[in-house]
Amino acid sequence: MGSVTIPLGKLLQSFVADTGVAADILWQFRIPKALTCVLAGGALATGGLLMQTLFRNPLAGPDVLGLTSGSSLLVALLLMIGTLTPGLNNALFQSPWSVAIAASVGGILVFILIIFIARYVKDNTALLIVGLMVSAASSALVNVLQFTSQASDLQAFVIWMMGSVGGTEWPELVVLSILVLVGVAMSYTLIKPLNSLLLGENYAAGLRVNIKQARFWIVVATGLMTGAVTAFCGPIAFVGLAVPHLVRLILPVTNHKVLIPAVVLGGAVLLLVCDVLAQLPGSTQILPLNAVTSLIGAPVVIWMVIKAKRISV
Amino acid sequence: MSDLPAIALQTTDLVVGYKKETETIQLFESLSLELRSGELVCFMGSNGIGKTTLIKTLAGIHKPLDGKIHRTQEAALVLTDRINSALMTVRDLVTYGRYPYLDWNLSLTLRDSQIIDAAIQQVRLEHIIDKRLVELSDGQIQMAMIAKALAQDTTVLLLDEPTAHLDLNNRVEIMNLLRSLSRNAGKTILVATHELDLALQTADRIWLATPDKKIVEGIPEDLVLNGTFDDVFQFKGFDLKTGKMTHTPYRNISVQLMGSGYEYLWTKNALERSGYEFRQEAPIRINVRALDNGFVWTLFMDSKEFTYSAVSQLLKKLSD
Repeated sequence: MGSVTIPLGKLLQSFVADTGVAADILWQFRIPKALTCVLAGGALATGGLLMQTLFRNPLAGPDVLGLTSGSSLLVALLLMIGTLTPGLNNALFQSPWSVAIAASVGGILVFILIIFIARYVKDNTALLIVGLMVSAASSALVNVLQFTSQASDLQAFVIWMMGSVGGTEWPELVVLSILVLVGVAMSYTLIKPLNSLLLGENYAAGLRVNIKQARFWIVVATGLMTGAVTAFCGPIAFVGLAVPHLVRLILPVTNHKVLIPAVVLGGAVLLLVCDVLAQLPGSTQILPLNAVTSLIGAPVVIWMVIKAKRISV
Repeated sequence: MSDLPAIALQTTDLVVGYKKETETIQLFESLSLELRSGELVCFMGSNGIGKTTLIKTLAGIHKPLDGKIHRTQEAALVLTDRINSALMTVRDLVTYGRYPYLDWNLSLTLRDSQIIDAAIQQVRLEHIIDKRLVELSDGQIQMAMIAKALAQDTTVLLLDEPTAHLDLNNRVEIMNLLRSLSRNAGKTILVATHELDLALQTADRIWLATPDKKIVEGIPEDLVLNGTFDDVFQFKGFDLKTGKMTHTPYRNISVQLMGSGYEYLWTKNALERSGYEFRQEAPIRINVRALDNGFVWTLFMDSKEFTYSAVSQLLKKLSD
């Protein structure tokens, strides 16, 4: 779906024949965009699931606890350094790999900070407030950076902040796919510690599960996935938080062996749907993706809190 | 000593506690204790003395400050930690017991499934195997936790307050289960508990944490008779040797009670509770007898004779 209407017949034709405007639109815009949706949705949802399990907190998620803000901060910093120091190799700073790695590092740093704080704050609600504050603080820093940057950069940055799956080109898509696949594969190897964490750290230790090691890999996997997505699509809200709950609503299980594939699929589907809605089919207007995910995600969460009174992981 | 069962777990000069920023908090010092194969040991002590920390230390999930623990095998644990996963089923929970034996992919062998089923049967939860934890009573959740520990297939079970927050029926059921697991399944069981009466009636041995950071151990009867329990718990108004509350005969009225069996004991209970003193040849005499369809109480007072069919009627007449 996009601002140009392509009839179904022409669409099928474009898949096979590699010529014409329709084929260009298809291969240069729509397929990359759809793939981005699938990857970003799956990655954010998996990240949300991992965080909810690790903190045993149903309201945890990459955006809620400030991971995406941490990623944004480092991306902004990287771009700043790139523009302010002309002597350095600009290509290095703007390569998809460096942006993705910077974003991942930002997410991982915030994650570590939150885990550190969680040791002292046992209350789940308090942890969420801390997450909001971390997120507010890094957003503020991002704003300061924006203040010092040029108008053209600023506009690009503001658009990026609205969340978009339409800006990814093939080179970026390759980086995104690699990082997301690595993150999801890593998460899948963690199903034993993840399941054990549902019983709490004491029981997990009693089952001879190495919690420290598992926590490290959960942080790395979540950081990679949300970092990569944030780098190329901007901070997408609510997908990470809402998808695990929506999935459990349809498939009420606690085993991560089933949950991880289900959540990947759920995230991909949800983000594709959100993107279709953002395009306003048949119209040339495009809504910010974040507006759509929030419009869908926020009521879902509120409805679940009211319905289940006690939602759980 | 050769006829004693094998040692399943032993500590030498174990120091238990934890480090809190700069200071080290020592809860127990130089413990040299042992658990023998197939015995049920109740671990008692006042609140906050460090029972949970010792259990965790013995299980190997908390580092001792000093000393050694010898375990022939891993120990399975039942803790007081609550499980928040409402969607988890009984089978899911018991399956966790097999985790130490499973690879990263969690593929269960036929034998794993058999052990899980057997563990669920041992705690008699077969009928609710697919129920979710939110749908269970506290007693059933505790039973499922014990099944999880059984599925771990270890000789030693360590339980922290498994009967806390349960009603009397469930408490007795759990203690009976633990009793039979040690007798019939050869499990070595250590239970931290507050249930003095149940512990005295079921434990082979008692570990009693004393305020000087030591643990006194012995069979329940010896610890009762030599006054160790009284020293540790500083009972107020409870006489452990009779197993009852102490009553002061505040009414200054003596009665003589005659009879036998339960009806005698419960009538005595009612009179003690109401402040009467017992004396041979007292001016007031009470006789209680069992009939075919109930009991009869006969009261001899002021050279008159009254008969009643309930203790309440007797008490009412006495207090008039």
